[in-house]
Amino acid sequence: MTEITASTPLTTLPTRKATARKTLLGQVPLDSPFYAFHPVTRLILFVFLGVIPLFIFIPEINFILLLVNLILLRWGKVDLRRLRIYMPIIFTVAIFMFTVVILAPGKDPSYTPLTVLGITIYYQPFFFTFASYWRLIAMLFGTILYFSTNHERDMLVGLRTLRMPFVVSYVISLSIRAAGMFMEDFRIIREAEQARGLDTKAMRFSDQAKLYVMYLVPLFSIALRRADEISNALFARGYTLTGRVGTGGKRSDYIRSRYVMRGRDWVAIFILVTIFAAVAIAQIFFGVFALTHSPLNIYLRTILNIPN
Amino acid sequence: MDTIIEFQNLEWKYENTKEFALKGINLKIQEHSFVGVVGANEQGKTSLLSAICGLIPHSFNGIYRGQVLLFGKPVREMDSLELATKVGLVFSDPEAQFTAMTVEEELAFGLENIGYSLSEIKERLEWAAQITMIEDLLDKSPYDISGGQKQRVAIACVLAMNPPIIMMDEPTSMIDPLGKRLIFDILRKLKEGKKHTLIVAEHNIEQLAPLADEMILMSDGQIVRHEPTLEFLTNPLYLREQGILPPECTEYAQWLKNEGYLSPDTRLPLELEQAAALVMPLFEKKVVK
Repeated sequence: MTEITASTPLTTLPTRKATARKTLLGQVPLDSPFYAFHPVTRLILFVFLGVIPLFIFIPEINFILLLVNLILLRWGKVDLRRLRIYMPIIFTVAIFMFTVVILAPGKDPSYTPLTVLGITIYYQPFFFTFASYWRLIAMLFGTILYFSTNHERDMLVGLRTLRMPFVVSYVISLSIRAAGMFMEDFRIIREAEQARGLDTKAMRFSDQAKLYVMYLVPLFSIALRRADEISNALFARGYTLTGRVGTGGKRSDYIRSRYVMRGRDWVAIFILVTIFAAVAIAQIFFGVFALTHSPLNIYLRTILNIPN
Repeated sequence: MDTIIEFQNLEWKYENTKEFALKGINLKIQEHSFVGVVGANEQGKTSLLSAICGLIPHSFNGIYRGQVLLFGKPVREMDSLELATKVGLVFSDPEAQFTAMTVEEELAFGLENIGYSLSEIKERLEWAAQITMIEDLLDKSPYDISGGQKQRVAIACVLAMNPPIIMMDEPTSMIDPLGKRLIFDILRKLKEGKKHTLIVAEHNIEQLAPLADEMILMSDGQIVRHEPTLEFLTNPLYLREQGILPPECTEYAQWLKNEGYLSPDTRLPLELEQAAALVMPLFEKKVVK
């Protein structure tokens, strides 16, 4: 047993080095290779990864896009364990989409019925839902990648670099702030209830649902008060809705001036825009990424003897 | 000194309230003075400050009679930009005034609104950050720092815009004792700089009194007393009745005066050091006896 002397500290504080930084919408790593790029490059990557699945119907390619997102998350030093928080939404979307397609597949005489585990499903709408699900998941991970590697400020700088009017970018900034504060208030209210002995885990689902509705009353009253306070703060700081400045000249953008576009940004933007344009043209004019070209679809149709 | 703020029989009633929040206010504030505003809650302190910075009547609905002149011009005729260059207000809840994602952006926001160039913004931002000791917080989120730091950021935002009038509405009401001391240190620096007119509404009279040149007592929407700080504190009993706790050292010295230990013309102390200088000779006499 260790002897305690006068000089022995009674408690030792853990010395854990922070690796991530809290943002209003989650966490970003303190250090990431993404930060070497200008915010506008990162914004274009977000648009690329978030929009490109809309042109791609082949689920295998969207699955590959999902893997690309995961690799980029890993490369960007994002703690992949944090992705667990998105599992409920991934499963909820899947349950919702497949339940709908099984219960209400639509009417078309060309649909091929299949019996799986005693349930009749129709191949064509089911495969379409399967493909749509992977499109959504690929888009979701593109969004996760962006918000896991960008501060809120980066998004604003990116938007302003793309010449978005100050007022619009400012409203977006206030909306992000409001969303973050809303979630923070929600957490505080929940913790206050738990501190007074409320055990939500022991409650029935219907009671939990009622509780969530009840949360809306204080949350909205707090949000309204905050909106009032922010409006007063904006007035006190000389803000006008048009973004007009006191001198009547052009508005300086101090934060944007702190970022510089480098060669690597131009190269990355060129590559992203070129691939995006190529994919869009290939799909819109030639249908290259249509569902009929999916190897899995072709294989299943072959073994199930379903005509194209 | 010139009068830079003048209330001319101002009356203000917020929409959907029965009582007037400000009743017949007549007040003159001189340039480069430090004015303390005290009073119990809901007596009109915040409304008084809001009327100076133009939040009343520009941002609130209600009945507005009389007028407030800022540098001779009615506040009612000034827009938010013009007002922001003349008067800055620090709110009691620091978080309520943040609108940006980082401290640096928060400081730059007001300067961008006024229309300063990038180099001027940088210079003013660094100056304000240095005065308020927040240089190491610039790249942090304003929601990710302590209460005292938040309030210093809020002060820095106003300071960076460098308005000739700086007002603070209970700036220490939500922060710890050390944070309070830092806020009063900043106020002391500003007072010593003699470049700003300072108006501070505050419950903490113990730390406000040594700095304030004059004090205003608000009660039921009216200015019931407006005197130089020393005169203001000569009747501690009256102040207590109004919900104000005078500095303990002032009260103690007043008691000594009333009991005859100190001569009637003794100047009351506002700070501990002044009180010690008054009282120590009494102890010395006692020891000699």
